[in-house]
Amino acid sequence: MTEPTSTAAAPEAPPDRGTLRRPSEAVVPLGVVAAVVVAIVLVYAVGDRATDLVTQSVVTGLLLGGVYALVSVGLTLIFGVLGIVNFAQGAMLTMAMYLVYEMTSSGGLPVYVAMLLAVPIMFVFGVVVQVALLNKLTLSGSHEGPLLVTLGLSLLIINVLLMIFGGRPLRVPGSVDGSLEIFGAVASYERLIAFAGALLVAAALLLFLRRTSFGMSIRAVAANAEGASLVGVDVRRIYALTFGIGAACVAVAGGLMAPFLSLTPTVGEQFTILAFVIVVLGGLGSVTGALLGGLIIGLVQTVGALYFPGTGSLILVFAVFVLVLFFRPQGIIGAAS
Amino acid sequence: MKKLPLAVVGLLGALALSACGGYEPADDEVVIGSVHPLTGALAGQGEMMHEGAQLAVDDLNAAGGIESLGGDQLVLRAGDSKGTADAGQVEAQRLVSEGAVALIGTYQSDVTANVSAVAERNRVPLVIDVAVDDVILEQGYEHTFRIQPNASSMGRDGAKALAELSAANGKPVRKVSYLHIEGAFGQSVHDAFAEEAEKEGIEMVSEVTYPATNFTDATTQVREALAADPDVLAVTGYYPDSLLIAQAIRALGGDVDAVYGVANGGFDDSAFPADAGAAGADVLSANYHYAATDERAQDIRARFEQKYGRTMETSAMLAYQAVVVIAQGLEETGSKDPEELRDAIAGLQVEDPLLEFGGPIAFDETGENENASVTVMQVRDGRIEQVFPDQFKTADIVYPVGR
Repeated sequence: MTEPTSTAAAPEAPPDRGTLRRPSEAVVPLGVVAAVVVAIVLVYAVGDRATDLVTQSVVTGLLLGGVYALVSVGLTLIFGVLGIVNFAQGAMLTMAMYLVYEMTSSGGLPVYVAMLLAVPIMFVFGVVVQVALLNKLTLSGSHEGPLLVTLGLSLLIINVLLMIFGGRPLRVPGSVDGSLEIFGAVASYERLIAFAGALLVAAALLLFLRRTSFGMSIRAVAANAEGASLVGVDVRRIYALTFGIGAACVAVAGGLMAPFLSLTPTVGEQFTILAFVIVVLGGLGSVTGALLGGLIIGLVQTVGALYFPGTGSLILVFAVFVLVLFFRPQGIIGAAS
Repeated sequence: MKKLPLAVVGLLGALALSACGGYEPADDEVVIGSVHPLTGALAGQGEMMHEGAQLAVDDLNAAGGIESLGGDQLVLRAGDSKGTADAGQVEAQRLVSEGAVALIGTYQSDVTANVSAVAERNRVPLVIDVAVDDVILEQGYEHTFRIQPNASSMGRDGAKALAELSAANGKPVRKVSYLHIEGAFGQSVHDAFAEEAEKEGIEMVSEVTYPATNFTDATTQVREALAADPDVLAVTGYYPDSLLIAQAIRALGGDVDAVYGVANGGFDDSAFPADAGAAGADVLSANYHYAATDERAQDIRARFEQKYGRTMETSAMLAYQAVVVIAQGLEETGSKDPEELRDAIAGLQVEDPLLEFGGPIAFDETGENENASVTVMQVRDGRIEQVFPDQFKTADIVYPVGR
């Protein structure tokens, strides 16, 4: 729609990433946000659709975008720092959801408590995967090696879940029922909580990356692994912990999404491709970019569905993606920040 | 050095041969091939249906096997379609090459279309347990039979039943909004429903479609469908999407006389009332259904649950029924020749079906079951009850539904 053209019109961002906080760094994201707002206003003004329907689709789109962003922030770290195309991200999401399911249905814990417990479990899982399966390949600089390993891992996870739980759709019991009205649009509490969770996770990750020495090490490794190791950063450890953090993000996502999705061993898969789109759209390794990209994709999908029902809205998503890649291949928020 | 590669080739060749050999049925065995999605997204369904068929085989064998074949035992062999047409086709071919005299399957229309082509080419009968698309039997195939009603007849009967039951309860439907999944299944059911509804004087006020993938929030689509102010919101889709839709209707406070599933894969699933909670209350569903009023069907369901530890859904009952149809065909011909079996099945009258049909299972010249029909179910107090037509009802209908 209109977003890509305006991103093209925005001033060229410098491709080098050395200096921080150039004035132009904020221009592109702001321009994109402005373009999205303009597009929505246009839909209201001349879109030929009932106002309350448009409001509903905007609210739904933002909430859906929050969910997408949740799945993507973990992926953007793994992709941006380790350079691993993690095909197991969707399967790890599913795994986290089943963990939460098991804790709520057998353990009788409230969903959101179960989610908090799932976070450390998934973190350890991520660390183990990176240390045991991926570190050697990542350090040797291989790209297709880790890709194939994660693809295999995703098949493994899906089929183990299938073996344990069977393929019938399951539902996480007991959650916050009800919904809220926002300007005449309806939003369920569960989805609002997921949205707030996405913002919180993104903010926490940003703070962590910017303010802690550990976050600094991660950024250093992302920028230049060799250089980082020369100044004494243990790259293997950073890799393992980054993958762990990526997996922990997915645990949060799984816990927040479990209340409103039917669980099947393949439920996470549908998010994998979209998450990659969002990560590339937002800019590799950029948490803010993933958040922004998620919201944009969510909006494009739901508001677009008013005009292109069914698969049409997904085609629109990929059209936006292709246009962004064409005009701004480094993504909305340029390089790893 | 020269001999080693030769030895390796010989060994590989021997291995390949033994792999090809696969299964060889014994003289006192009759093999039925069952093609279902045992892995992949639909694995839960496929596994359950295979178990339904297995239960039928066990029951028939326990009762003495096929009498006219001197008590030969039935053997059920599994093929995994993985949910894709290609894999289903390969598996069907494998089962036939390994001695299956008949096939059952496959839950999905596109897979079934390919498997029915395999059946036709090999002149082996295929009894479809679940697959809804009309097109499958429009190819002029002579070896494919379908027990359940097809998409257009479910759409048609669904509209008829809605007109009748709403009139009988003093609030005839005037306007219907239709929400359905994209693709052949949703579209063909919708089209048949709309055509019949208009004959009944019902106005179709809106048609909203949603994608089969990446559909995780139904609020916008439901709102769009409700915007036309319908009396009834009709829904055709699978389980997860139908659940999302029911929840969105409740969240939006949809003021309709009824939510009405047509050939809906979610609303009459036994897991639906618990999963949907308040959102599922009083939801109606016009679909084929296991015979809840029949003691034999009840007994089968009870034993299924005991054996496999889960509820037997209608799809598994259809798989059970498909095996019974083939067994009766074998009984009739007293031969293991697939071609003769095909002729026997074509002329069969299976009395006392395990599904809530208006009459015995009997196939017309295209292979469709002449007496396949839909029943209307309703979620009542957390259970799926049959409410229409009266002869099959297990509980009274609530209509219009106070929301």
